[in-house]
Amino acid sequence: MDETPLLQIDNLHAAVEDRTILNGVNLDVRPGTVHAIMGPNGSGKSTLAQVLAGRDTYAVTGGSVRYRGMDLLDMEPEERAREGLFLAFQYPVEIPGVNNAYLLKAALNAQRASNGREQVDAFEFMKLIKDKMELMRISKDFLNRSVNEGFSGGEKKRNEILQMLVLEPTLAVLDETDSGLDVDALKVVATGINSLRHPERAAVLVTHYERLLELVVPDYVHVLSEGRIVKSGDQKLARTLDERGYDWLRDGTGGP
Amino acid sequence: MNTAELRAVFDASLDRLAGSDDSRAARRQAMAAFARHGFPTRRDEDWKYTDLKPILTGRFDPLPGPASEDRRQVDSDRLSSLELTPDAPQLLFADGRRLANEDSHALPPGVEISDQHTAWQRIRSIQTDGQFREYPLSAVNTAFSPDCTLIRVGANVDVSQPLHLIYLGGTAANSTAQSRLVIDLGANSRLCVVQHFAAHIGGWTNSVTQASQEPGSKLTLYRLQEHAEEHFHTELLDVRLARDAAARLGYVDLGGRLVRNDLRVHLAEPGASCDITGVFLAARGQHVDNHTRIDHIAPHTTSDEAFRGIVGERGRGVFNGKVVVHAGANGTDARQSSDNLLLSGRGEVDTKPELEIYTDDVKCAHGATVGELDAEQLFYLRSRGMDEETARGLLVFAFANDLLRRIELPELRRRVVTAVAGHLPDHEHWGGLL
Repeated sequence: MDETPLLQIDNLHAAVEDRTILNGVNLDVRPGTVHAIMGPNGSGKSTLAQVLAGRDTYAVTGGSVRYRGMDLLDMEPEERAREGLFLAFQYPVEIPGVNNAYLLKAALNAQRASNGREQVDAFEFMKLIKDKMELMRISKDFLNRSVNEGFSGGEKKRNEILQMLVLEPTLAVLDETDSGLDVDALKVVATGINSLRHPERAAVLVTHYERLLELVVPDYVHVLSEGRIVKSGDQKLARTLDERGYDWLRDGTGGP
Repeated sequence: MNTAELRAVFDASLDRLAGSDDSRAARRQAMAAFARHGFPTRRDEDWKYTDLKPILTGRFDPLPGPASEDRRQVDSDRLSSLELTPDAPQLLFADGRRLANEDSHALPPGVEISDQHTAWQRIRSIQTDGQFREYPLSAVNTAFSPDCTLIRVGANVDVSQPLHLIYLGGTAANSTAQSRLVIDLGANSRLCVVQHFAAHIGGWTNSVTQASQEPGSKLTLYRLQEHAEEHFHTELLDVRLARDAAARLGYVDLGGRLVRNDLRVHLAEPGASCDITGVFLAARGQHVDNHTRIDHIAPHTTSDEAFRGIVGERGRGVFNGKVVVHAGANGTDARQSSDNLLLSGRGEVDTKPELEIYTDDVKCAHGATVGELDAEQLFYLRSRGMDEETARGLLVFAFANDLLRRIELPELRRRVVTAVAGHLPDHEHWGGLL
């Protein structure tokens, strides 16, 4: 296993409209690992995911993030994407008038152009997505529908994972991809995530619940509270959190 | 051009214009009404945002140009660039006059075009002083229109092929193209018409179309305006629907300098319904005004109206949508929306929904927005690797495409989508996605 971190978050601070949300996050993510970030509502989990992807509604007020040796915070969202960073949105956006095929093709071609590879043609594209669509249990008519428009919660999440499978990111950040999914959909999503596990890739799963982590077993589990990581462990920590909730971490009672 | 000048030209030319007693009488009635009302000015509430001065000072000749031009005199490359499919039934208009048809573009079976005598008889029977008062430009059209095209579809005839009407504008930059069209649909008949305005030089198009739908008939009318950017365009479309008749109207405005579209829909009998969509682009000094009025006269009538404007640098978009629910029109369902993307600080949008409701049992919803691109959508596309410029262009296109995709004719939809894309900045970056 490569020992150089793929992602190196150092003392990251972020705020929205003068309200500090991230308050000194430190995290190293090495290739081949899966990290889960858990925490109560409002702890800053989604903010962390959005800041990594480059959402400009959050102002980074301190700290640094290095990704594959580059200054991530200095990169535009599209550059991050082309360099292999992928955010699966908690609330995937509906874009009426742009169909899924356009978006998938555009995303793939943007990445290919940046890597100096040839653009994908229609035939190759269909070949490439066919199996992935089957894996995500997405039907063919999906390609001609507008992005996420009229999709159920589960369909939107499966669509995020489909995009991820097509783009094969080096670092996937999944923001509450498990929320709102029934058991079957959760299994489909977990299968998708697991199919991308690879010694050179890594994933950060932001989640509120432990149940996804039974299906996608993380190497590390971190607890985010009030904008910083207050505890790290392995999958056992996730189970403890599931049984006991987050309060014991905050009041400092009963924690090791 | 002022009212007195028009009147003088009319008096001197009536003998040349009028081919029959009905034509003469209709034109006289129209001119008399126009002399009373004159051109609308910005003091009229309905013309508050649109000033006709550029047309009135434009020295346009109200009389039709020289007769006898036929299809063979029109540049064939230009024609083939406008056709929807090589064998689509077509009618061509130049200087407001319908050109002789050719067999290769024969009318679809079930469509009949009346002779001038019958057409003007029909005009005379439907024209009213009220219409001339409300829309004086229709009086100018009636007075000077070189001819009248009356399209009839008999009862129970389902015309399967769309009829493509191409309006080539005038032969000179000071020409006025005043075409006149009447569509009569028999009971339970069905017709699809594409009105395609495509003047390639300056001039003024002043068009009037009246459709009358018998019970259960269905009219689909797409109206695509791709004039040269120095062309002026005013038009009235007036649709009257009987019991259970349905109209689907789709407007697309891409060209022209000053464009004013008036639409009147009369839902005159129970069960009548209309579905109206409109997309326009206005930039580089273009002014586009969509002025609609829908009258729910009978119970259980429905209307659904959605206009979208994309307004760029020095563009001006106007929407005025009036819905009148008459007393007794119980069970009316009326929806209206006007959404506008304002892409430049130097553009302007004026949008005004007007509801007049004289009964209690109605469902009415309306909304108007003027805004910029959605930041969430923009970030989503960028997070998938699309650069900001490309993502912006694609979202502007998507805003229009969300309505354009409702166009039911695939060949027209393709043409319109490509044309809209071609008018947007930076489309070369994302146009390949289409």
